[in-house]
Amino acid sequence: MNVQIDTAIKRTRAYWFVDGFTEMAAGGFFILLAGILLFRWNTPLTSSPSRFLSIAGEISIAKFFGLLIVALMLWWLKDHFTYPRTGFVRGNRVTTTQILTLIRNIILFLFPPIFGLLALSLLIASAGSVLSSMPVWFPIGVALIWAVLCVWAGNWMGLRRFQIIGALFLLAGIKVGIWQYAIGLPATAENMQAGIFQPATLEILYRSLTSLGILVLISGIILIISGFVTFLRYRKENPTPYSEEI
Amino acid sequence: MKNLSSLDRVIHEPARLTLVALLSSVKSADFLFLLKESELTKGNLSVHLTRLEEAGYVEAEKTFRGKIPHTEYRLTSKGKSAFEQYRKSLGSIFNKE
Repeated sequence: MNVQIDTAIKRTRAYWFVDGFTEMAAGGFFILLAGILLFRWNTPLTSSPSRFLSIAGEISIAKFFGLLIVALMLWWLKDHFTYPRTGFVRGNRVTTTQILTLIRNIILFLFPPIFGLLALSLLIASAGSVLSSMPVWFPIGVALIWAVLCVWAGNWMGLRRFQIIGALFLLAGIKVGIWQYAIGLPATAENMQAGIFQPATLEILYRSLTSLGILVLISGIILIISGFVTFLRYRKENPTPYSEEI
Repeated sequence: MKNLSSLDRVIHEPARLTLVALLSSVKSADFLFLLKESELTKGNLSVHLTRLEEAGYVEAEKTFRGKIPHTEYRLTSKGKSAFEQYRKSLGSIFNKE
C-alpha cells in the first residue's frame, strides 16, 4: 500500500510533464541557445573583450525572452489542452528555504567532485594541457551535471524517461568530447602568458563553446523527440476534453 | 494492537488515503485531476471528499474558469499533519518486530 501511495505522490509531482509540452518547449529553447552559440561564434575571432561581452549579452537576452515565450506558450497550451482533459493542479509554492537548501545540495554534491577532478588533473598534467583539453572535458562535464540532475528528477517524480534522457545527455557529451579529441586538441597553451584573449586561448574558448553548442543542440533534439512521443501517448490516452460539467 | 487502533480511521480508508496522498504533494488540485488519478466514480469521489472536508483535512474553493464552475481542493494544515502522523504510525507498526 505504501508503494502505491508513493507512486501516487510521484505521479502528482510529475503531472507538469504528463503531456510532453514542457520537454518540447525546453528542447526548442535549447536549440535557440545552440543556434546563438554555434552561429554567433562562427565568425572570425578577435581579442576584443567587447565582442565577448556582446555575445554574452545576446545569450542573456535570448535566455530572458526565450524563457518568457516558453512560459507563456506552456501556460496557454496547458490551459487549452491539458487541464480540460486531465485536470488542473497548482504546485506548491517554493519557499526561500527550499531554494537555499537546493543550492546548498548542488554545491555539496556537484562542486567537490568537479573541483576534485580539476585538482587531480592539475596534479597529473600541467595547467596548459588541462586548458588545451578543455574542448574535450568541458562538454563531458556539462553533460554529466545534466545527467545527474535528470536522473535525480526522474527518480523524484518516478519518470523513467527522464533517466533515459539523462543517460542520452551523458552519451552525447562523451560523443562530442571524443569528436573534439579526434580532430586534435588546440595548440598547447604551455607557453602562454597571462591574459585570456591570446590566439591559443581564443581557439580553446571557441572550440569549447562549439562543443557546448553541439551538446545543447543534441540535447534539444532529444528533449523534443521525448516530448513529442509523450504528447502522442497523452493524446491517445486522453483524446477529448472531459465532457461533463464538474 | 495499540498501534493499530491509533491509526486515523478517516485517512486509513484506501480511497481517502489516495486522495490525501495526491493532495499532499501539491498546493491544490481540481475535481477532474482527483477523479482521473484516483480512478473513483464521481459519486464516490464526492462522498470521500466531503468526509475529508468534515474532518477538517481538506478544504474546497469554488471558482469559475470562464463560464465553467471549477472546484479546487487543498489539504489543510490539520490534514497535512494527520497524513504525516499516519505515515509515521504505519511505519512504526511494521518496524516494531
